[in-house]
Amino acid sequence: MSTQVHANLTEEQVRAISDELDEPEWLLETRLDALSALSDLDMPKVIRTPGRDWTNLDALDFESFVDPLEGAEQKERVTAEGAEVLEWSEAVAEHEALVREHFGSVVDTQENYLTALSTALFSTGTLVYVPERVDAEDVKIRTTVDSRSLFNYTLVVTETSASVTILERQSTGDEVEGDRYYSGIVEAVAGENSRIQYGALQNLSEETYNYTLKRGRTDVYATINWIDGNIGSRLTKTEVSTELAGDSSETQIVGAFFGHDDQHFDLDSKVWHYGEHTTADLVMRGVVDDTARSVYEGVQYVGDDAWNTSSYQRENTLMLSDESEADASPKLEIDNHDTEASHSATVGQIDEEDLFYMLTRGIDRESARNQLVEGFFVPVLDEVEVGELRADLRELIAARLRE
Amino acid sequence: MARLEIRNLHAEVADDEEETILEGVDLAVESDEIHALMGPNGSGKSTLAKVVAGHPAYRVTEGEVTLHLDGDEFDEPIPEDKRTWDLLDLEPNERAALGIYLGFQYPAEIEGVTMVNFLRTALNAKFEEREELFEDEEDEEEAEEAGYDTSPMEGPADEGEVGVAQFQEILRGKMELLDIDDRFADRYLNAGFSGGEKKQNEVLQAAVLEPEIAILDEIDSGLDIDRLRDVSTGINALRDEEGSGVLMITHYQRILDYVEPDRVHVMLDGQVVMEGGPDLAEKLEDKGYDWVREETYGTA
Ligand SMILES: Nc1ncnc2c1ncn2[C@@H]1O[C@H](COP(=O)(O)OP(=O)(O)O)[C@@H](O)[C@H]1O
Ligand SMILES: [Mg+2]
Repeated sequence: MSTQVHANLTEEQVRAISDELDEPEWLLETRLDALSALSDLDMPKVIRTPGRDWTNLDALDFESFVDPLEGAEQKERVTAEGAEVLEWSEAVAEHEALVREHFGSVVDTQENYLTALSTALFSTGTLVYVPERVDAEDVKIRTTVDSRSLFNYTLVVTETSASVTILERQSTGDEVEGDRYYSGIVEAVAGENSRIQYGALQNLSEETYNYTLKRGRTDVYATINWIDGNIGSRLTKTEVSTELAGDSSETQIVGAFFGHDDQHFDLDSKVWHYGEHTTADLVMRGVVDDTARSVYEGVQYVGDDAWNTSSYQRENTLMLSDESEADASPKLEIDNHDTEASHSATVGQIDEEDLFYMLTRGIDRESARNQLVEGFFVPVLDEVEVGELRADLRELIAARLRE
Repeated sequence: MARLEIRNLHAEVADDEEETILEGVDLAVESDEIHALMGPNGSGKSTLAKVVAGHPAYRVTEGEVTLHLDGDEFDEPIPEDKRTWDLLDLEPNERAALGIYLGFQYPAEIEGVTMVNFLRTALNAKFEEREELFEDEEDEEEAEEAGYDTSPMEGPADEGEVGVAQFQEILRGKMELLDIDDRFADRYLNAGFSGGEKKQNEVLQAAVLEPEIAILDEIDSGLDIDRLRDVSTGINALRDEEGSGVLMITHYQRILDYVEPDRVHVMLDGQVVMEGGPDLAEKLEDKGYDWVREETYGTA
C-alpha cells in the first residue's frame, strides 16, 4: 500500500462528522473501529490477467482527494406515500433500532480498505424504510457532489410484502480544481415476500474517482433487482451484488456502461445462492471508445444447501477503437449440483459486415456506427423496468455517441 | 435513364493478392430493364455485386465501374458535368446515394435497430448525401451572392427530413405491395428472420429506397412458392413502377417463370462468358453449366 490517507485522518474528524449527524454512541464506535482498522485492510480485489493488474487502486493518491470535513452536496429526495425517505440525522433519530439492526449487516464495514474508509467518513446518508405491505413507487435520491470528496451511505429496508422502486443518481455540481473522490455504500435488506427495485445512474465528472458497493440480502420469496448505469467518472470500481439468503428469492442485476477518453471501469456483478429455489439473472453490456478500459467480473456462487438453483449471466463488451481495452471474466462456482446455470461473456468490435450492410443503404459510417451501438444497448435497456432511468440512460448514450 | 457499366473488371481479395476472383467482367444494365446474372457456385457473382457496392474486402486491380445518369433521375435536373460517376472512387454510402442498391445473398442481422427507424434513417441519409454529391461550389457561391442559400440540387433533405408519419405511410404502401405483415416494421433488422423473410426484406428495402440500379443477389433462394411470387411482384414493380434497372443474380431457372429477364448473362470463373435473351436461361436449364464450360473452353 503506497499512498494511504489514513495517516492523516484523526479520531477528531470522525467524531466531528458523527456529532454533526447526532449519531448514537454505537455508530460512532463503529466508525472509530473502521478508522483504526484501516492500516490492516487491503483494497478490494481486482481482476488480474497474466502480466497485468487491470485496476491498481493502491496507486491512487487518496491523500490528495479525500477531504473529510468538507463534504458538500445538493441532495434531492423524493418520497412515496407510505414510505419513509430520511436523511441520515433523521434516520438515526427516528429509527435508531432499525438502523442499528441493519447497518453493516449486508456489507461488512471492514470488508476492505474502501468500505472502512467510507464507514469512518460518510457525512451524508439516506434511509429508505418501507413498512409492511406498502407499495412505494418512484422514490428518488439525487446526489450532486459539490466538494472534492463525498462519502455517501444508503440503507434500504422493506418489510414483509412491501415493495419499492428507487432511482438514485449521482453527478457533480461545482467545479473543483484537481481530482475528486466519491464513495457510496448501499445496503438493501428485503424482508419476506418484499421487492426492491434499485436503479442507479452514475454520471460523475471525469475528474472523479468513484467507489461504489451496492449489496442486498433477500428473505424468503423476496426480490431484489438492480440496475446500474455507469457513464461518468475518471475511474470506477463498483460491485453490485445480492445474497439470495431466503428460499425462493430472486435477483436481477442489469448493468450498462459507456467509457470514452481515458475512463476506466472496473465492474463486478455477484450473486450468492444460499437458499433453495433461488433465481439470479445477471446481464451487462458496455462500450469502450478511445483509450477507455473496462474490466468485468461476474460471479455466481451456488452454496451447499442451494437446492434447485437457477442462475444465468451474460456480458458483452463492444470496443469502438483499436486503443480501447476490455476484459471480462464470468465465473460460476457450484457447491450444489442441483443447479441450472449458464454464464458467458464476449468482447468484440463492430461487425464489418453489419457496417457495410448499413452503408449500402446510404447511411454514412458514423451514423451507421451510432445506430449499431444504440442497438447494442437495446437488450439491456429492455430489461430496465424503471422508465425514467431507461430514458436517461438512452439519452446519455446517444449524447456520448454524438460528442 | 441510368446505366451501370462494368468494364474489364478485375478484383482480388484485399488481404490476399494471390486470390484473384474477378478476371475481366464486362456487363451493363440500364433503367427499365431486368437482367439475370447466372452461373455456377463460386463463379464470382456475389463478389461482383459486392465490388460494385464497394465492399472493403476486395481490391480492384483493373477495369471500371461507371454510372451514367441522364439528368432527369432526381428531383432537380442534374448538370451535365455531374452525370457520369466513377463508382470505384466513391464510398459505399455515396454509391447508394447515386442509386446503387445491393440486396444481399446473406443479409446482416442487426439487433436493437428496428426496420422502420433504420429505413427512415437510410432514406434521409440518401437524400442528404445526394445533395452533397451534387453540390456545386460555384453555384453555391453565385447563389449566396444572389442572396439564395440553397444549392440548385436541393432534394427533400433541404425541405426537412422525411418525418416519422410520412415515412410510416411510404413503408405501409410498400409492405402492402409485397404482401408483408404489418409487424415487420417494428421488428429488429433481420434479427431472427427466416431465410425467406430476409429475402423479402431485401426487396422491401429496395422498394422503399427506389434505386436506379438494384443488384439482387440470390433473392430467390430459400423462398417458398408464395413468397417467391411476392418477391417477384416486388422486382417487377421496381422496373415497371420505379423504372429501376435490376440485375438479378440467380442460379435457378425457377424465379424466371415470374420475372422475365430482358437479358441473361452467364458468369464462369470470374468472367461473363455468355450473353443472350430470355431463351438463354431456358437453354441453361436444359443443358446445364457443363455446356457453358464446354462452349467456353472447348470440349475436354
Ligand atoms: N473475401 C473472400 N476471401 C477469400 N475468398 C473469397 C472471398 N470472397 C469470395 N471468395 C472466393 O471467390 C470465389 C467466388 O465467390 P462468390 O463471388 O461468392 O461466388 P458466387 O456468388 O458466384 O457463388 C469463391 O471461390 C470464393 O471462395
Ligand atoms: Mg453468391
